[in-house]
Amino acid sequence: MTAESVSASELAPTEGKYVYCIIRNDRSRDFGEIGIGSGARVYTINHKDLSAVVSDTPIVIYDPTRENVLAHEFVNETVMREFTLIPMSFGTVFRSENDVLALLKSTFQAFTDVLEKMQDKIEFGLKILWDRDKVVAAIERDNDEIRRLKDEITRNAASSTYFARMQLGRLVEAAMEEASNRYVNDIHEQLKSVSAASRSNKVIGDRMILNAAFLVDRKDEKAFDERVKAISLQYEDLLSFKYTGPWPPYNFVNIKLKLEKAT
Amino acid sequence: MGLLTNILLAPFLGPVWGTRFTLDKVDRAVREQLTDDTPIKEDLMALQLKLEMGEIDDDQYQVQEAEIMQRLRDVREWRERFGMSVGGGPVRVAEGDETE
Repeated sequence: MTAESVSASELAPTEGKYVYCIIRNDRSRDFGEIGIGSGARVYTINHKDLSAVVSDTPIVIYDPTRENVLAHEFVNETVMREFTLIPMSFGTVFRSENDVLALLKSTFQAFTDVLEKMQDKIEFGLKILWDRDKVVAAIERDNDEIRRLKDEITRNAASSTYFARMQLGRLVEAAMEEASNRYVNDIHEQLKSVSAASRSNKVIGDRMILNAAFLVDRKDEKAFDERVKAISLQYEDLLSFKYTGPWPPYNFVNIKLKLEKAT
Repeated sequence: MGLLTNILLAPFLGPVWGTRFTLDKVDRAVREQLTDDTPIKEDLMALQLKLEMGEIDDDQYQVQEAEIMQRLRDVREWRERFGMSVGGGPVRVAEGDETE
């Protein structure tokens, strides 16, 4: 049997288990009716002192819609208030409780080690976008060569050559790249002492200059928070900050699970 | 004989080889395009960013998200058709070996 499309979810039986995360816990726990789908009950499947946090689900492929992704994240946020967790990737569905138990058993040591490492660690996301016009204005103000060339072109609008304009464009591009690197390095440098690790992801769109995740010790949460606020004040005229979290350490846990398609 | 055959048949074989080669290449390019969901995921992230930055409203988001989901489903279908791995759907622990 192959997975059905998600639109069939209303009719499909709910024998599957959607897994949100793995935690250290040795009792049955109920996190309430907050699961993916339409508020399925979220509970634990236990093996020794490890638990998988799951809810019942039809065997379907979940589309990564905002609604579904938010439901997945909401469960992890709720669990995170009490536990250090290893997040599972979005849409992970097992056929049965036994398949989940097999996962816990076969990866017991790896999960235990990672949970140990991630103890009291949380993740923050920081996306930084720039306002191109403002950055260009700042560059024209601060860069003598560019300012001179621009003045010259403006003064001799009629006679200024195509090549002078080309050269100006090139200089501005280069200065912008240099500025972007300078901002990003400075921000990383300032956040280094209040974070345990960082990871830069691919930027989205053409206005973003940084798309990073920071792993932060819970005890440094406040300091990290304050530092981000200070940096965003420092750059408020040029850059806009999108700061999110705390998240489970999505970007810092890398367990390769040997999973195969269940048929 | 061999050489002569080649020379004699060359005008005929040439274009056939050429065509087959081109078709293979097109086929590969098309297949890659049909089965690669990376650009779709990037579009989804860009769309989410637009919503978060207030550049589009919820209704506009919903419409565009539905389009992107359809594209993702199409890619999934092509991948299945070509026997490639797909994300999502039921999984189980692979049998027989240790987990890294």
